[in-house]
Amino acid sequence: MPLIDLANPSRFLALVGKMLPWLVAATLVALAAGLWQALFVAPDDYQQGATVKIMFVHVPSAWLAMAIWALMSIAALGTLAWRHPLADVAAKAAAPLGAGFTFLCLLTGSLWGRPMWGTYWVWDARLTSVLVMFLMYLGLIALWRTVEDPSRAGRAAAILTLVGAINLPIIKFSVDWWNTLHQPASVVRVGGPAIHPSILVPLLTMALALTLLFATLHLAAMRNEILRRRVRTMQMLAAQGASA
Amino acid sequence: MISLKALLIRDVRIAVRIGGGALMGVLFFLSIVTLTPFALGPDLKLLARIGPAILWIGALLASLLALDRLFAADHEDGSLDLILMGRAPLELVVAAKALAHWLTTGLPLVIASPILGLILNLDANAIAAVAATLLVGTPALTYMGTIGAALAVTLRRGGLLLPVLVLPLTIPVLIFGVAAANAAAGGTVSFAAPFTILCALTLMSIVVGPFAAAAALRAGME
Amino acid sequence: MTRRQRRLLLLGAGLGVLGLAAALVLSALKDSIVFFNSPSDIVEKRVTPGTRIRLGGLVAPGSLERGSELAVRFQVTDGNRAISVAYRGILPDLFREGQGVIAEGALDTAGVFKADNVLAKHDEKYMPREVADALKKQGYWKDDAQKRDAARPPRQVP
Repeated sequence: MPLIDLANPSRFLALVGKMLPWLVAATLVALAAGLWQALFVAPDDYQQGATVKIMFVHVPSAWLAMAIWALMSIAALGTLAWRHPLADVAAKAAAPLGAGFTFLCLLTGSLWGRPMWGTYWVWDARLTSVLVMFLMYLGLIALWRTVEDPSRAGRAAAILTLVGAINLPIIKFSVDWWNTLHQPASVVRVGGPAIHPSILVPLLTMALALTLLFATLHLAAMRNEILRRRVRTMQMLAAQGASA
Repeated sequence: MISLKALLIRDVRIAVRIGGGALMGVLFFLSIVTLTPFALGPDLKLLARIGPAILWIGALLASLLALDRLFAADHEDGSLDLILMGRAPLELVVAAKALAHWLTTGLPLVIASPILGLILNLDANAIAAVAATLLVGTPALTYMGTIGAALAVTLRRGGLLLPVLVLPLTIPVLIFGVAAANAAAGGTVSFAAPFTILCALTLMSIVVGPFAAAAALRAGME
Repeated sequence: MTRRQRRLLLLGAGLGVLGLAAALVLSALKDSIVFFNSPSDIVEKRVTPGTRIRLGGLVAPGSLERGSELAVRFQVTDGNRAISVAYRGILPDLFREGQGVIAEGALDTAGVFKADNVLAKHDEKYMPREVADALKKQGYWKDDAQKRDAARPPRQVP
């Protein structure tokens, strides 16, 4: 279906209504499979023991946190350049989810760092740049919440999102550019993954499950946002009618 | 070019004649630097060690807090609409206004920093390093801040929103500014490496800031 | 100049400045902004005692001595030089001989690094224990990042 058809919110709502039950089912199946593999099938690491299981939540959350910002950047282009009516809705609905995954990544990383590194937190380049992304997510949410006019807030947020996208390569390559406490990339790296398949497969399953979870929540949030805007328009029309 | 020069001179004149801008920033800077020793307690050695960091935090907050007037005054008296309709490219206009703003708020902070360094028990080497890093780094703060200032005026919201949006963008400037200042004051890192990155950050924000701020003004003022 | 030409010029100038900034960053990265210093760095730069630094490297095999009340001493090496580290406190789980470690603290006048915090650094490899053992048995235990003792099985820290 071409993107232009989705520009009509009613058609989009109809499509979301049809897709959501399937997405929910797929998410549940993938999540069950992923958790079962992560908790019962995946072996312990030769050095870290069972603590390595934190990775199955930590790494997918980190990937999603960055992917959601990338998605919001594309949506920001949609808002500014093509004036796609749903782009702003997509970005607004994605921001709290992105903030949530970033928080999950920071939290699990912290809990993992304490036993393995010996500290909950250090100010190295990788941790700091992710924290900056978390703060920017919160800033965007604050912006959407304080400004009443949705289209005005949307354009302002789009510009900030694009400026914040500079942070994405910094997060990804921070472990290569500076000698950080955080170890270098294990999966997406030159020379193939450095994770044994018995640990890599559960990791990728969990990544798929959390991505599906994001897709489900995102579509539902977009639907809610569209409905919320309709209610707002109706209220304004009603108020105008009452005063006239 | 002529219009940009006129704009620059006009902005500097307004800031100097009204008084508020330059003096207020320095006064705020002074208050922050005066507050920290009380919070730390009497420990001159500790003060000397974290002095560069205190000066940088003070300068960062002082230059950010002055920013919300960058476009607000022009918006109120209608000259911002004239500027938007004018022939000069908006990006350059923003850059010129930011330059005027830096000359009247950032530069006084840099000039004041050696004196404040003295009362923080810094040695001559560290004072020179802090002043040099502030001279190179404060333009980055002002130019990055133009984005926040432009958003604040188009959203008609001031107050805390602006710092919340802009502060995360200034973290790299702070990191490398303080790293360079500390390197000069002794330590294991060379002064040149963080200082070069600080210069790069300033150049980057001189481009990114005006482009993003101009886009924000165009998108918000329709 | 037309409006269009002026816009292009402006964009070009902007990109030029960004390129300059990128070149500056790349030239500075060669000089490397570091989270920690290796023992060779510390010896070469003649770090004065009392300056707070982070020391990073591998725990030299066979150098760990445990004293009373959680006191430990070990050597941190980067292959060229080694610095002895004294620390009192609980070591992280991943701390073992031959593994990466980062100690925060300062040199004392005798050249011993007094650490008040020890962090373990791990590499990007994950595998089950059986696989690691099998690799070692077959002699395929390659470690491109760090020169680790090839035959040594991973030591369990009590």
